[in-house]
Amino acid sequence: MSTVDDPRKSLEFLQGTLEVLILRSLQTTPNHAYGISQFLEQQSEYEFLVDNGSLYPALGRLLQRRWITSQWKKTPNGRRAKYYRLTPLGRTQLVAAKSKWMRFVEAMARVLAPVR
Amino acid sequence: MREWWSKICRAFDLQNDVEDELSDEIEAHLDLMTADNIERGMPSEQARAAARRAFGNRTRTQENAREAWQFLRLETVLEDIRYGLRGIRKSAGFSVVIILTLALGIGANTAIFSVVYAVLLRPLPFPYGERLVRLGESTSNESGIAVTWINFQHWRNENTAFDDMAALASTDLTLTGRGDAVLLHAQLVTHSFFQLTGMRPALGRLFGDTDDKTGAAPTVIVTADFWKNRLAGKSNVVGESLELNGKPYQIIGVLNPGRNVFWRSVDLYLPLGRTAGVSVKRSDHGSIGGLGLLKPGKTATQARVNLDVIMERLAVSDPGPEDDHRSYVAYLTEETTGEIRPTLLVLMAAVALVLLIACANVASLLLVRSTSRAREIAVRMAIGAGRGRLARQLLTENLVVAAIGGALGLLFASWCLRALVLIGPVDIPRLSEATLDLPVLTFAAIISIVVGLLAGLAPVSTAGKVDLTIALREGSPASGTGKRGQAMQSALVIAEIALTLILAFASGLLVRSLIAAQTSNPGFEPQHLLALELQLPESRYKSEENIRQYYGQLSESLRAEPGIEEVGLVMCPPGAGDCGDWWYSILEKPTPARSDVPMTLFNIADGAYFGAARMRVLAGRSFSDADRAGGSPVTVINEQLARQSWSDPQLALGQHLKVGGPYAEGPTLEIVGVVVNVSQMGLDAEQMPTFYYPFSQKPSSAMVVMIRTNGDPAQWTSAARRHVSAIDRNVPIQSLRTSEDWLGATLKRRRFTTLLLGLFGALAMVLVSVGIYGVINYWVSMRQREIAIRLALGAQRSTILRWAAFDATRLAVLGIILGAMGAWGASRWLKSLVFGVTEHSPLMLLVAAAAVIAVAALAASIPLWRATQTDAVQNLHES
Repeated sequence: MSTVDDPRKSLEFLQGTLEVLILRSLQTTPNHAYGISQFLEQQSEYEFLVDNGSLYPALGRLLQRRWITSQWKKTPNGRRAKYYRLTPLGRTQLVAAKSKWMRFVEAMARVLAPVR
Repeated sequence: MREWWSKICRAFDLQNDVEDELSDEIEAHLDLMTADNIERGMPSEQARAAARRAFGNRTRTQENAREAWQFLRLETVLEDIRYGLRGIRKSAGFSVVIILTLALGIGANTAIFSVVYAVLLRPLPFPYGERLVRLGESTSNESGIAVTWINFQHWRNENTAFDDMAALASTDLTLTGRGDAVLLHAQLVTHSFFQLTGMRPALGRLFGDTDDKTGAAPTVIVTADFWKNRLAGKSNVVGESLELNGKPYQIIGVLNPGRNVFWRSVDLYLPLGRTAGVSVKRSDHGSIGGLGLLKPGKTATQARVNLDVIMERLAVSDPGPEDDHRSYVAYLTEETTGEIRPTLLVLMAAVALVLLIACANVASLLLVRSTSRAREIAVRMAIGAGRGRLARQLLTENLVVAAIGGALGLLFASWCLRALVLIGPVDIPRLSEATLDLPVLTFAAIISIVVGLLAGLAPVSTAGKVDLTIALREGSPASGTGKRGQAMQSALVIAEIALTLILAFASGLLVRSLIAAQTSNPGFEPQHLLALELQLPESRYKSEENIRQYYGQLSESLRAEPGIEEVGLVMCPPGAGDCGDWWYSILEKPTPARSDVPMTLFNIADGAYFGAARMRVLAGRSFSDADRAGGSPVTVINEQLARQSWSDPQLALGQHLKVGGPYAEGPTLEIVGVVVNVSQMGLDAEQMPTFYYPFSQKPSSAMVVMIRTNGDPAQWTSAARRHVSAIDRNVPIQSLRTSEDWLGATLKRRRFTTLLLGLFGALAMVLVSVGIYGVINYWVSMRQREIAIRLALGAQRSTILRWAAFDATRLAVLGIILGAMGAWGASRWLKSLVFGVTEHSPLMLLVAAAAVIAVAALAASIPLWRATQTDAVQNLHES
């Protein structure tokens, strides 16, 4: 191979992945946009760097599909922020998307690094 | 679906809420980040700034989010439009030039398109216009000739391709007994004609089967105009009788007013079957034409095959001399406009070129302006506008300008159209119906949008390529467009020059053709010649002797009038076109095969005509008193006919012309003379073979009296009228005009086309000179500094001029080369419009190129002169 991946560079989101990851980040508890980006960066061990220019439109799309809802609430520090919460519809979508992506990842792995 | 719906809702509603909420949310986001930063031990001011940096481009985030939430925000579009309008106001002079250029281009195109639409594209005013076809017979070398009555009956009864058919013929009748005698145009039609064309009676009834056969009582249907003008619009006219050619016809109906189906005006309709029904032979040709309504789904070609099968069957079952005849079927829409089509298409193409030039001009002006706006654009990009967003805004602005130009263009088009209809020749069918109706308005709207987008393309494509650091630096006026913009501008000027050359070449060819036609030798002297067209009423002049006597008497009395030098009779004067054509053969020559029998025009003249018209007799003699009725039949032929059979006109003398050719009936005439060709079909038409019958042996009730005067012929018109009514006041005068009028009328359409193409050529010249001026002026302004430095370093003004002119010349030469190639290629489309000069005329191309170069040089000279006048000291001081 002529080019080797540079591990210092963060990964870019594949088409449609950001939405799934947002849904996942809201699975246990509602969160605000900043919290979501923090969560994704920490969980991915900083492989993903969340660009706000992509995050907000993605949130907008999820709201329109009624997969999440939003509500202004106080943070533990007493500031106001807009919290996003998974809807029942969003929860089913997450389950479906998760199994799809897991299959996808496994299939990719099998092809790229086959077990001998 | 749901996403779309909520987008639509949001586009109209909630906009500000969404906006505020997004803003609040981002504010909160920043607050949270700031708090985290402070927790990590950053000073509070730094924490806030770091949060902002980490967040990224806030405006872009907001816009992206907004776009995900809504379609296009109506608000943004309105904002862009407002911004565009403000821009127009701010640079008023610049915008006026652009808008006027567009208005000229769009207006001229809309006007011509409305003519093209009315004449070529609009459906015929019949219920099934697109299914109507004209029917006729055809032979191997003639198509669309008359159909015989018997053949038509077979077609109508045996075909499988038509819903119905009608046969028609035209005739002229004299109306007497209601004031002065008048000649009326009547149309003979079979009774199915009215159903085919959807005509309805306003009063009474239409023809039925019983009116339309031999032996039926004579009936007539009058048109709405005739009823109003001649019958005083009385409601009880049905049942009254009209005396036509001395016989009573009963009026059975009055038609509704409506569009005329025929090219000439029609006063009356008569049943065709009553008179034509006597025909018994398949080869009895009158001048019957057919009209057919195709069954839905059938094409003209299928219909022709169907009729040909019938003709082949008839050739076996009812053989005759015309067994080789087949059918002819052509769509009425194409048939009626076939002749004018190439002219209109050339005009449309020419005016489209004008629009392209206008477009190029506007594009190049916009490029210049986008240079001066480079800073504005750079600022917008620096604060986060994306390329797409900028392009959208620029395009919106251009569309606003194009819309204003289009609206003005419509106004301009409505004026042009009124002028076009006024000056347009009357023989262009349906020209007077051209209006700015819905299809035309749609066309104008579409070209406005296309022009707006096209003209905006160049500036928009360069807009995003701005180098921010250069553009934002103070005092760099040249930033922005750079090399790319200049190359594009040069390309536009080259294209403009090329297009203008094509137009100049085309209009030059047409002007040259018009001059050639106007100065072409008509073969006779049309000056001082008055043409008096008469039609003797059949009822009063029944026998040939009566007719001879009348015209003899009239000629004698006119000759006695002082100032009248000579009086001659002719049936069909020069310029009147084809008054009759027929097959012929020469007895002394080998008999031609049935399919090769040549055709000739025929005419009738008396002995004095050739002298009165000053037509040279090339061989033999003119008609004389010796050529009496009942004497040996003779003819005089024209040079064209003589040249078809003999190398020298002298050789034709004494030989015999068989009228009708070897296979049709007709008399045999001895050739006693050969005369020069005259412009029978028009000054710009080819010469046709013609032979003349002597009036004494074949008198006709409809003749034109040609009066040679010794001064302006118009002075003798009242004398001519006096002599006609002195002999018999029941003889109607058909027309009384000079021979020059007859000839001049044949050039009407050519003048019209030439005038329009000339106008387009001139318009193109004006536009291209504005364009060249703009570009060179810009070039000079950009290099003002450089010129000043060169001058300061001791350059001669002539060197500066050479340097600047070199650029201009390069553009001009490239444009001329491309244009010459284009003109050469396009000239074949002009073939049908060119007369007396070849369409591939290198001389004309040279002249056109010289004209374009002269205009270009003139336009470039002002800014070039300005370049040499640069005041070096002042210029360098200023900067």
